[in-house]
Amino acid sequence: MTGETRKHSREEEPPPFGGSWRTLYAVVLANLAVLVALFYVFTRAFR
Amino acid sequence: MRPLDWVVLFAALAGIVAYGLWKGRRTRDLDDFLVADRGQRWHRVALSIMATQASAVTFLATPGQAFADGMRFVQVYFGLPVAMVILSATAVPIYRRLKVYTAYEYLEGRFDLKTRTLAALLFLALRGLSTGVSLYAPSLILSVIMGWDIRVVIFIIGGAVMLYASTGGARAVDNTNFLQFLIIMGGMVVAFVTIVRLLPPDVSFLEAAHVAGKLGRLNAVDFSFDVKNQYNFWSGLLGGCFLALAYFGTDQSQVQRYLSGQSVAQSRLGLLFNGMVKVPMQFFILFLGATVFAFYQFTQPPVFFNPVQAERARAGARGAEFRALETEYAAAFDEKQKAAREYINALRAGDDAAAESASAGLKAAQDKANGVRGGALEVLKEFDAKPNDTNYVFLSFVTRYMPAGLVGLVLAAVFFASMSSTASEWSALAATTVVDIQRRLLKRDASERYYFVSSKLATVFWGCFAIAFAQYAGQLGSLVEAVNRLGSLFYGTLLGIFLLGFYFRRVTGTAAFLGALAGEAAVLYCFFYTSIAFLWFNVVGALVVVLAALALNPLTRAKPDTSEA
Repeated sequence: MTGETRKHSREEEPPPFGGSWRTLYAVVLANLAVLVALFYVFTRAFR
Repeated sequence: MRPLDWVVLFAALAGIVAYGLWKGRRTRDLDDFLVADRGQRWHRVALSIMATQASAVTFLATPGQAFADGMRFVQVYFGLPVAMVILSATAVPIYRRLKVYTAYEYLEGRFDLKTRTLAALLFLALRGLSTGVSLYAPSLILSVIMGWDIRVVIFIIGGAVMLYASTGGARAVDNTNFLQFLIIMGGMVVAFVTIVRLLPPDVSFLEAAHVAGKLGRLNAVDFSFDVKNQYNFWSGLLGGCFLALAYFGTDQSQVQRYLSGQSVAQSRLGLLFNGMVKVPMQFFILFLGATVFAFYQFTQPPVFFNPVQAERARAGARGAEFRALETEYAAAFDEKQKAAREYINALRAGDDAAAESASAGLKAAQDKANGVRGGALEVLKEFDAKPNDTNYVFLSFVTRYMPAGLVGLVLAAVFFASMSSTASEWSALAATTVVDIQRRLLKRDASERYYFVSSKLATVFWGCFAIAFAQYAGQLGSLVEAVNRLGSLFYGTLLGIFLLGFYFRRVTGTAAFLGALAGEAAVLYCFFYTSIAFLWFNVVGALVVVLAALALNPLTRAKPDTSEA
């Protein structure tokens, strides 16, 4: 494997956890949805 | 401030400067200076990104915003995680593949030199001005606390940042950002725990929160749609997404942070971590402010939180009137505290009707206190046309009520917040000045060493510029909105140019350039002649750039050469 190829494959590497980038993207967006839902519950509980 | 606080504060400041100098001691070439030799791991990229965004404004004005207006400001950040995903999937691989030093280098390859230069100049104008505001905020704290001339304080802080940013470049900036952010969050957690512990023993934290909520301070989400409303779910999700796309995708002070990652994966993880953590972090900072509000329902607050201005009012021509209003405010506080306790008792009894009645009494007492405060603000207008103590609420609490040593720690955290964002900004301004202006337009064939030294000198230049501009930042009103508004005047246009580059492959450089001019004109029109909330400027600017460029594109494309046919 040449240096350039090695570098290229490293740049295309999958995430170190979570399986794939798509999964990680979904986790970030799901986290946002859960937070908004929790904030909504929080707002209603204390208003 | 007690002696221990001074020791903690100055030890922290001296320590971080020494750490920055030590980390930057091996900076030997341009790659090192501008992108930390592209060798940072994701956790350092992530915290450096967060430290850059979270300036002292975040930790001073945001709690004050919650105190005065509630927690709805958190919605501004709802679009950020979406933007992090979009940038991770699109911009990061492009920037990394091209091995650029600045985001604007990409535009020349994709469009042409004039589009790159326009974007670089927009960034220099935007960031050059706002870096003065970032420097001003903590200087304000010290000047109020120590009674020093604010110009001297600005000079001291700016000088400290300049020491390590101009010698160690991005390597020193990223490493100090990482450490500073950990200390900042530690300081905020300590402040929160202290507030909770200072609540009256007969009032639980949850009961105090109910009082704050009943007075409109725990209003985190509002789903109603109104383009004139600064903070609601829709403006936060859409306007906030555009703002975050522009800030993280086109602002060199952020692009430089993830360009220093070891690989695409490390840079992406840094951004995604920010997408996960930023919203809860902002919620926490706002909740800190709302908790300070709850605390002041049971402890007498000053009628105006800026002690210098309040003292000036007491000694002024209407001093007797101001002092009478302070006495009246104390009486109004007693009534409000009584109403708050009645409300809590009704909650404890589980009596809904009594709670409803007590809550009406609480709101009436709050209105009465606000009326008295309004009178005090009228007196203060003698000295300041728009008296605003939002930025002093948290600071005032810290210095009055926190134990010795912790005051120094929290103040050091606020200093670090300012230093981290300021250092990133100066480093990015220097990179853009040298790479996009000097090396590309003014002196193309100099040695690597020449540009390396130029980058150091450019950092010093921007530091001096920021220090000079900071002298006037105090006249811009609430700091949070000043910084955000300044950004929103240019970010939409910058984002539009990059959107054209990433997603509209047929658009020419000239069309993009003309579209950018049209976008900027549209944003300035909205700013001067409409009442549209500033978050929407990002959407308007980006859309006008894209639509104008698409409309003009057929006119700017070269006609196909048919001579051979």
